[in-house]
Amino acid sequence: MLREVTEQEFRQEAGSGLVLADFYSTTCGPCKMLAFVLADVDKTCGDKVNIMKIDFDKCPDLVEEYGVAGYPTLILLKDGKEIKRVSGLQQKPAIIRMIEDEA
Amino acid sequence: MSDKITYSFSESLIKRQAEAEKQMLAEWKSGEYTFDNPLIKMNPYLINPLAAVVLFTTEKETAVTVTVYGKEERGNIVHTFPRAKEHVIPVLGLYGDCENRVELRTYEGHTKELRIRTEPLSEDVPKLHYIKTEPEYTSRDLIFVTPSLNALATGFDYRGDVRWHLTVPVVFDMKRLKNGNFLIGTERVLQMPYYMSGLYEMTMAGKIVKEYSIPGGYHHDQWEMENGDILVLSEDPDFVTIEDVIVLLDRETGKIKKRWDLKDCLTPGEGPSGGYTDRDWFHNNALWYDKNNHSITLSGRHTDTLINIDYETGELNWIIGDPETWPEEKLKYFFKPVGDGDFDWPYEQHACLVTPNGDVMCFDNGHYRSKIREKFLRNRDSFSRGVLYRLNREDMTIEQIWQYGKERGEEFFSSYIGNVEYYAEDHYLVHSGGIQYYGEHASDKPAALMKDDPNVRAESITVEWLDGKVIMEMKIEGNFYRAEKLPLYHDQDNLPLGEGIRVGEMGVTPEFDTLIPMEPCGELLPYRYEAQLIEEEDRFTFKAIFEGGQLVMLMLENEEEEHGYFISTAKNKFNALCCGTFIEKDPRNITLSVNKAGLKGDFQVRVIVDDKKYDTGIQIHC
Repeated sequence: MLREVTEQEFRQEAGSGLVLADFYSTTCGPCKMLAFVLADVDKTCGDKVNIMKIDFDKCPDLVEEYGVAGYPTLILLKDGKEIKRVSGLQQKPAIIRMIEDEA
Repeated sequence: MSDKITYSFSESLIKRQAEAEKQMLAEWKSGEYTFDNPLIKMNPYLINPLAAVVLFTTEKETAVTVTVYGKEERGNIVHTFPRAKEHVIPVLGLYGDCENRVELRTYEGHTKELRIRTEPLSEDVPKLHYIKTEPEYTSRDLIFVTPSLNALATGFDYRGDVRWHLTVPVVFDMKRLKNGNFLIGTERVLQMPYYMSGLYEMTMAGKIVKEYSIPGGYHHDQWEMENGDILVLSEDPDFVTIEDVIVLLDRETGKIKKRWDLKDCLTPGEGPSGGYTDRDWFHNNALWYDKNNHSITLSGRHTDTLINIDYETGELNWIIGDPETWPEEKLKYFFKPVGDGDFDWPYEQHACLVTPNGDVMCFDNGHYRSKIREKFLRNRDSFSRGVLYRLNREDMTIEQIWQYGKERGEEFFSSYIGNVEYYAEDHYLVHSGGIQYYGEHASDKPAALMKDDPNVRAESITVEWLDGKVIMEMKIEGNFYRAEKLPLYHDQDNLPLGEGIRVGEMGVTPEFDTLIPMEPCGELLPYRYEAQLIEEEDRFTFKAIFEGGQLVMLMLENEEEEHGYFISTAKNKFNALCCGTFIEKDPRNITLSVNKAGLKGDFQVRVIVDDKKYDTGIQIHC
């Protein structure tokens, strides 16, 4: 499932299962493109992963807590623990591979 | 004003040169050009304004000696061409903006003095700060430098006078071939910031004899094998990871005969340097084939290591570098320092070479000078140097035999680029090509990303070392990828005539897997984007100006197919800028090249900008 979350929603839901956190900015071209990619990823493996979009500017505490230095940054969490992180725009096959390796 | 974007077709340089040569030869054949009344053509190959060709016919076969007079006798450039009746003589090493005195002399015969007028040198010529030479320094070779910022490839003589210059941004290493020509990267950018379409085999007059196109492009370095084939630093055509592939090109056909992927012998992420990124995990900036053990030595800037692999199998033989942070299973490949003298590992180094006795040299940039983030040195506190190591593979020890540069500290520091050359024992060249100051100290940010900032000062210092002392030091304005000392003329065919040929192939430009679902809005791309499309025989290039943060995708569409190419408008797109020549001053400028390879048919060119898909009014035939 793909959706935009607040900091509070993220904290409530990130602790269980497979979560892909997309730290993005509304002022970033690659982030806008990644939104289309993640929508595509969600169609393919939305049943395996919870995709949460986190606005870089609206969630500064999460940005600091996760040490996110730039956007877009994708962080894959399993039961709340970070297991993989990639920076920059990614293509659909790479993201699916990342999810399926851990699903 | 029309909103239709600007379209132009650009003929290849090799074809334009062929046409110019054909016209030159036709003019010669249609006239009575003798030794005393030769035809003189300035800049015959369009890109070297300090070269001319003199054409004439003699009744009897004779050798001809050409002398380009220098500002003093030591500056004369002299070469004798083999006997012939029909003479097509390249005149090299002219001075810019003056009437050059050039003498022709038949073998044991008479002389003819010519006056050849040249144009002023362009702003692409680097400015000389100084050149210091010892009185005994008598080399008539030029010091050639190749671009890293705006100034273009240039050759300086012992006085610092410019005697050679190319007006197109051919880039990276300039390596002389056994036939006397040299190889250098084309000016055709395949992918920003500096992945070029391939290599030119070129004469000193600037004539392209052969153009090699390579599917994964060319960057940094190349090497001529004993049989003439060419080893080239390249990457996978999908550009998912970069600077981690080596290919062997057939010299005649340009086809790839062998390929090494460094991910087969190293795991990305092992021993990362300060500049490491997931995509540019190795950053291979040099290669050297060693026939003594049939191996290839490579320089991986983003692992802080020089590595050596077996030519046949690609398996790892050894690693020179600081072993800190490397995984346990790789430590057996590392050397242990020995000896009583000074010893430092290389960090983010460039330009490895192997001397005839198996010693290894490189330009140790010293960027960060640690593998531990907390211990990283600022550029102002580090040093760069040329260094020579002696290896013992039996007991896996390494000794530092020589270095030059550490003692100069910040003043000689180059966070990126640079090279060393080996001429003989204790006779080397060290080129610190990327000195960058911001105000009073070495800058921590690349100059290529601060092109308009008046506080930035970019310099390059080249030193020749002989028998324990510096015999030449040259300082020029700007940054230069490498320096090479070469003679202008050689003893083979200095100007092979006939049309240059293109070999090899362009790869299929990687498309974006996900397309943006959107219908054309029926409007032309607005003029404010200043878009232009330049078509070539084998590709087209889209240029425009977009604001940071805009969503942009170039589309090729017809009734059956859609192809999408994402264009990043992010501000800081590039981490490592060994060649910033193609970086625009205005970061809003974008450039995207799409090869025609893999595409067939007619395509409408459309551009998605945020929430609209615009027409361009241009159709491309592939």
